[in-house]
Amino acid sequence: MGSTQESGTEGGVLTESLVVFLIISVVCVAGGLGVVFSRNVIHATFLLLVSLMGVAGIFLLLLAEFLALVQVLIYGGAITIVVLFVIMLTKSDEFESLVDNSQKPLAFLISIGLFVVMTVAAIAADNGNTVRASLKFSDLGHSLFTDWAIPFEVASLVLLVALIGAIVISKQGEEE
Amino acid sequence: MSLVHFQILSAALFSIGLYGVLARRSAVLILLSIELMLNAVNINLIAFSAYTESLASTGQVIAIFVITVAAAEVGLALAIIINLFRSKGSVDIDKIDVMRW
Amino acid sequence: MTNFWLFIPEFTITALAFGVIGADLFLARENKKYLPWISSIGLIVVLGIALNYLLGKQENLYGGLFLIDDFSMFFKVFFLILGLLVVLISSEYVKNHIKHPGEYYGILIFSILAMMLMAASGELLTAYISLELLSFCLYVLVASGRYGEKSTEAGVKYILLGAVASAFMLYGISQIYGLVGTTKFADMNLVLVAENSSALDLGLIMGIVFIIGGLAFKIAAVPFHMWAPDVYEGAPTPITAYLAVGSKAAAFALILRMMSSGFISIMEDWQMVIIVIAALTMTLGNLVALAQNNIKRLLAYSSIGHVGYLLMGVVAMTPLAFDGIMLHLVGYGVTNLACFMCIIMLYNSTGRDDVAGYAGLADRSPFLAMSMAVALFSLAGLPFFAGFTTKFYLFTAVANEGLIWLVGLAILNSLISLYYYLMVIKSMYIDPSEDTTVLVFSRYSLSVLGILVVFIFLVGVYPGPLVELIQEASQSLFSYIP
Repeated sequence: MGSTQESGTEGGVLTESLVVFLIISVVCVAGGLGVVFSRNVIHATFLLLVSLMGVAGIFLLLLAEFLALVQVLIYGGAITIVVLFVIMLTKSDEFESLVDNSQKPLAFLISIGLFVVMTVAAIAADNGNTVRASLKFSDLGHSLFTDWAIPFEVASLVLLVALIGAIVISKQGEEE
Repeated sequence: MSLVHFQILSAALFSIGLYGVLARRSAVLILLSIELMLNAVNINLIAFSAYTESLASTGQVIAIFVITVAAAEVGLALAIIINLFRSKGSVDIDKIDVMRW
Repeated sequence: MTNFWLFIPEFTITALAFGVIGADLFLARENKKYLPWISSIGLIVVLGIALNYLLGKQENLYGGLFLIDDFSMFFKVFFLILGLLVVLISSEYVKNHIKHPGEYYGILIFSILAMMLMAASGELLTAYISLELLSFCLYVLVASGRYGEKSTEAGVKYILLGAVASAFMLYGISQIYGLVGTTKFADMNLVLVAENSSALDLGLIMGIVFIIGGLAFKIAAVPFHMWAPDVYEGAPTPITAYLAVGSKAAAFALILRMMSSGFISIMEDWQMVIIVIAALTMTLGNLVALAQNNIKRLLAYSSIGHVGYLLMGVVAMTPLAFDGIMLHLVGYGVTNLACFMCIIMLYNSTGRDDVAGYAGLADRSPFLAMSMAVALFSLAGLPFFAGFTTKFYLFTAVANEGLIWLVGLAILNSLISLYYYLMVIKSMYIDPSEDTTVLVFSRYSLSVLGILVVFIFLVGVYPGPLVELIQEASQSLFSYIP
């Protein structure tokens, strides 16, 4: 559990967890920037992996161990690999010629604007709470299967539809 | 370290992802940017749930659903993208045009 | 203990979807023509079960996650009938243009389930995951067209933009969850009333705006409409009809429930956003429709215009206005299906879906031209047709709330829309056709079209019983508000 001593930079002290947080955030943001600016699609994918593993670190800092585990397994083990397969199946050298479009400056302005608004909102709502709470695996599982049973069932149908859809759509291309 | 730090990180990742969506032309790269946005959402959710004791489990539950849907979305989107590549020989989707009317 | 009998329509429709997909595996190729019959009979059975078990029930399951009341019941019945009609208008098109009919119907049925869940959910996560189920089904259906490029490209655009929209919506949900402390609509209302938030913080407003933005994407409201024309044009035509009616109605069901039972106490904060979106949506949709020469694109923009009218009702936020929205959804739904049935029939026999392809249709098939004209007049809102009655009800309800200028704009837009609908009608009745062969249609399609046209007149001339049902539905929605 965190304590009230973790007051961050405002008190002039860099606590250990704040240092860890800053390091991980730099990794996340740098990875993210790499994804959107890299000219090589394979690099972009690996940078996404870096960023997402950073997010897993953030989850650990927030005492959400289960989510960190899931994050590593699903993003590291599944999603990135699938994306890499697809890049190999399509012409990866093609990507260099079509990385960006003419809308770039506008996109830049929109994103900066959004970032400013979101940051201001976050700072405005800051209640200065520095105590983190953790959650037991079993509590999480319990609430997932009792309180949230309906969304859970619906999520299974979402996966089923995605599965059937992926098969139908890729078979269709084959037969053409 | 407090809630606001995590929220600013989340805002940064979300905006970076949005930039990628708007600026990239390759469907695969747009998909990667969307993953960034969804992870930003997850950071926000988990941060809220960690710093507000009464909320704890709901935030993590929502995050689990977000990850599930994101994974399914990647699978389906890549299937459609491969199909596009087969029929067009390219994964260029011109642009996601914000100025179109 | 939860009473699982209350889920019986959802259970049976899921079983039906599995049944249809399973039957497809075992049916020989020449027997696949029975799939639409299995689906439609199944949907009628589900409808019967729903009406039998749930009519008039008022229940609150899983602490407010899932609500059974007249409102969700109305939409359940609406979506089941809509699904049935979409199966009927699909059947000939699917035979000629779709490779995997079993999956097509199965996923269509899953999407009906998703819409039913959306109308019944009383909580953000349930609503989100149901919306996502609906979106996934639609992504697959949009990309399932056979004629390659257009359909696939539409699918890629739709899934990528849809994912961005749901990312925004999720961010909004996370803000609401963090700042209000709950995701249940009823509890949110309690918290917001208790806080008496005269000075609402930016984070909360941002959350609401992001959720509205995500939903605005699903209903194709300006400025999140850019996917609609491309997707409508590229998707298989029955799915275009379904997108225009079903996904919109489901999103509106969710918006009505969420706004009226969750955010009504802070109405002043989001009302302006919706007013702007509504005004922009109807004006832009109708103006751009003037320039279209593909009939599916034209109807895409016309449907954007209709979303603008419907959003006015959300702004007004009274039971009467909600009646207007639901009534207009029904009227617009029937009309749109009739319109698309005509497009499908013409496309099946001539392969044309540009407006020029309609030249001289009155000589080639008088009945088709007449039905199309009826549908277009109804969309424009001329008297005696469904469109007039429902629009009139909606506009009056909004005007009652003092939003006269908005209603004025809507009426002006209806006049603009009349112009481009008349262009199509002129093409059908006045322009000469290069090809004068008489078109022959199967008795099946003609009777489906006939039924839809009868519905248009029925809603237009005798809306009484429908209005009563809708009033009960919207009353149950407003009864949640303390």
